[in-house]
Amino acid sequence: MKPVRMAILLTLALTTAPLAQTFHFTAIPDQNTARLKERFDKIATYLSDKLEVPTKYIPVKSYSASVAAFKNNDVQLAWFGGLSGVQARRAVPGAQAIAQGEEDMAFVTYFIANTSTGLEASDGFPAAIEAHTFTFGSKGSTSGRLMPEFFIRRHFQKSPNQIFKRVGFSGDHSKTIALVQSGSYQVGAVNFAVWEKEVKAGIIDTSKVRVIWKTPTYPDYNWSIRGDADAAYGEGFIARVKDALLSMSDRNLLDSFPRAKFIAADNKMYEPILETAVDVGIIEK
Amino acid sequence: MTRASLTLLLIAILCAFVADIEVTTLDPWGELGRMAWGALTPDASVLYTFRNALLNTVTFAFCGISLGIVAGGLLSAGFQLTPVRLFCGFIRAIHEIFWAFLFLPVVGLNPVCGILAIGIPYAGVFAKVYSEIWQEADRRPLRGLPATASGLSRFLYGLLPLTLPALRNYTSYRFECALRSSAVLGFIGLPTLGFHLETAFREGLYSEAAILMYAFYLLIGSLRYWVKPRLIPLYVLLSIGLTSTAIRLSWANLTRFFSYEILPWPIRRQGFVDGSGDLSLPVDQTWTWLVTRFTDQALPGIYDTAILTQIALAATGLLTLLALPSICRHFASPLVSRLSHYVLIVARTTPEYILAYIFVQLWGPSLLPAIAAIALHNGAILAYLSGQHADRIQLRLDAPGRRADRYGFEVLPRIYGQLLAFLFYRWEIMMRESAILGILGITTLGFFIDSAIAEDKMDQFVLLLLVTAFLNMGIDSLSQRLRKGLHISIGSVKTVE
Amino acid sequence: MPPVIRLQNASVSYDRLPVLHDITLEIEDGEKVVLVGPSGAGKTTLLRKLFESVGASAAFIHQDYALVPQLSTFHNVYMGRLDRHGALYNGLNLAIPRRREVEAITPLLVELNLEDKFHERVSELSGGQQQRVAVARALYRDADIVFGDEPVSAVDPRQSDAVLTLLKQETRTLVLAMHDVDLALEHFDRVIGLRNGRMAFDASSTHVARDHLNELFAS
Repeated sequence: MKPVRMAILLTLALTTAPLAQTFHFTAIPDQNTARLKERFDKIATYLSDKLEVPTKYIPVKSYSASVAAFKNNDVQLAWFGGLSGVQARRAVPGAQAIAQGEEDMAFVTYFIANTSTGLEASDGFPAAIEAHTFTFGSKGSTSGRLMPEFFIRRHFQKSPNQIFKRVGFSGDHSKTIALVQSGSYQVGAVNFAVWEKEVKAGIIDTSKVRVIWKTPTYPDYNWSIRGDADAAYGEGFIARVKDALLSMSDRNLLDSFPRAKFIAADNKMYEPILETAVDVGIIEK
Repeated sequence: MTRASLTLLLIAILCAFVADIEVTTLDPWGELGRMAWGALTPDASVLYTFRNALLNTVTFAFCGISLGIVAGGLLSAGFQLTPVRLFCGFIRAIHEIFWAFLFLPVVGLNPVCGILAIGIPYAGVFAKVYSEIWQEADRRPLRGLPATASGLSRFLYGLLPLTLPALRNYTSYRFECALRSSAVLGFIGLPTLGFHLETAFREGLYSEAAILMYAFYLLIGSLRYWVKPRLIPLYVLLSIGLTSTAIRLSWANLTRFFSYEILPWPIRRQGFVDGSGDLSLPVDQTWTWLVTRFTDQALPGIYDTAILTQIALAATGLLTLLALPSICRHFASPLVSRLSHYVLIVARTTPEYILAYIFVQLWGPSLLPAIAAIALHNGAILAYLSGQHADRIQLRLDAPGRRADRYGFEVLPRIYGQLLAFLFYRWEIMMRESAILGILGITTLGFFIDSAIAEDKMDQFVLLLLVTAFLNMGIDSLSQRLRKGLHISIGSVKTVE
Repeated sequence: MPPVIRLQNASVSYDRLPVLHDITLEIEDGEKVVLVGPSGAGKTTLLRKLFESVGASAAFIHQDYALVPQLSTFHNVYMGRLDRHGALYNGLNLAIPRRREVEAITPLLVELNLEDKFHERVSELSGGQQQRVAVARALYRDADIVFGDEPVSAVDPRQSDAVLTLLKQETRTLVLAMHDVDLALEHFDRVIGLRNGRMAFDASSTHVARDHLNELFAS
């Protein structure tokens, strides 16, 4: 019993130890994550150099974990989706979106279908997807869940469960593509950037899965930072982080996201996402 | 007993009619082939990359179980008091993963989350089993202790040494469980083995998955060689030393979570909209909120959880009956029984969650993979325990020669009562597991809990968590009543829990 | 001086089956008394009744020794004084034997021929050795009154003499129950005969006639 008691005291003593002044960031795990750590460790090195503050990447398993980490100040900066960004900033007063990808102001979701369904590409909403099996991406994804669900609800005036034979949540965009390609689900909704990247990389068998609809555009991914970062890391820190992100030009680094480059952003740009989320019922108001 | 068994089977068959047990993937065998190929070509090179995850799996288990032993030991002292018993039942009724879900937003992504997630439910289990062990102890030697000595002294010199072997047995069994729990916690993001296992399975990197699974089996299989009673304090201290650097708790988070975020939204709405953060109590809206959460989520979740549990319960029983002859000395040759033993060891060492995860990859998210995973894991445990029981039976010289007759008329009648008791004992555990598997996309309670987390609705999350806990406690008390009514008991076997 | 033990018209029944009938008995300070009688006569019941009547400060040697088999000889003997110390001291002594206790217990174990079993687990000892551990525990308690239920039944005849002598020598008031009548008569002045839960006689050993005893043990 004795060592155990000592252990508990030790633990208690350590829990109150002050936090080392390392700057932490995370990113939503929106695509294949096997080498995520290696990819983002490079970003951490880049930021460490630019900011002259030790910077560390914290890997997470889910969108919600990245939001929780931001809320708890386990990370001060995060690469969020539109929805997770709204959720995180709502919970942390003073938090601000500081940058987004060039593509993110006009982001698009692709509806994709297994070719065995015979569904063809169309300009208008593909009403024929009704009664098929359908997979979203992560439950907390903007392009993989929120926006597709919004357009589906708007067209059918019913919830996805009432429309489709089966509704699934694949977890990430790469998995959505894999599931629709293998036929496990007939139709799916996927982030267009991940789709284009994987098509270019030759991972997708386009004889088995094809794009059948492109949604109207909406704002999506963003870098968000906690408002108390200035107080913790020195006056003007947030501006320096923003600068570091906007001046990132190494293709090798930008491909991790994948984005052409980063441009400035602010909280107001994501109001439509908030309204959509309230509409779909993901956020209460 | 026959009637109870048939009722159980009938309920399961009825459930199977309404259950969704479709295979939704198009090429399950091809995927299985790729998994098998991965199993044959493990990629040992990643072990070095994942060394921290392996270490964390062990240190979380050590710290978590230490917490469980201390807290459970203290709670067991008051276990005869109803509030304490209910409290233990409550913390036990919530699965480690759900505890981790609760702590993730409160303490963040750090070891404390994993340690608490293991330690708290284990404290409930330890409290219950320790107090059972103490109740069943041979109390005659206690008469030799002076009646006027303090309770603690009498415990130290009497009950504790008297029951130490039983306590040690159970605790070491539980340590194996803690390693399993610790590994599984990685699936939801803690930095243990499951973190990389999930990635590997999800992305079809089966050679990586295979080496991680082998490492896990090796870890558990080798326990008795490196976990020696004398070394345990050292291990615990080392574990604490190794986890300590990342530990940080924010009281602001804790209070915000427990006094604000978990309150139903209508209570917080007014203050949230006007920015004051004040609370109000609009009774009508709160009531509506509660009712819709029940009708839209809790009830459908309970329905699928119950359906899954009942089918899995019957399937576990049938699987046990089928597997039993292959490991029992009265039916199988030594070679066959040895081989069957190995198969069962793998089946019961692999956590249900991982089995279910693999089956979902193969068959898609319906109740089928969940039923298979629960039945396989639990069937392996029950077959092993019943097999031990059956092996102790001495058959009479003129016992029937035909194996089927011998099984049906000599062995089964003697062990059936205990087997049924084991099954009922694990009922609650199966239900806890059924709820958890919702995270994999099977629409049990866990599915709605996972959604609440994804949508950052802690009020909804806590409500569903309470529903899950009370459902489990209900099953636990029903199971106890049934065992009492049928006059069956698990005897002194504690490792069923 | 008033008697240290007094029982007046005591009756005991188990499951409504009477085992002791109307026993009245007084034992003076410093007396050495033995209860004899065939098995089932009520010796153990009477002994327990007497023990209960004087309170927990007395020592009691149980027929089944009531030892904790997983603990060492030393710890089982130490238990006799468990109520003299706080739980912390007791706990420390359990982990690392205190020198003070070791020094106090060693001479007792030497007297009882157990010194080489000091650290041994009690479960490893023979029946006779275990019984002597139980005797040592009762003596270590250093109580004014010691009760013993067949305290030498498992000890070999050569040693039982020595154990009884030690018990008499080291205690003030001693009450034993024994089935070995010859040994009882040899060691005790006052003998109480029990039969079917009633007192058959209460006499000085020199006055107990063979006839009395024959009657006692007649079936």
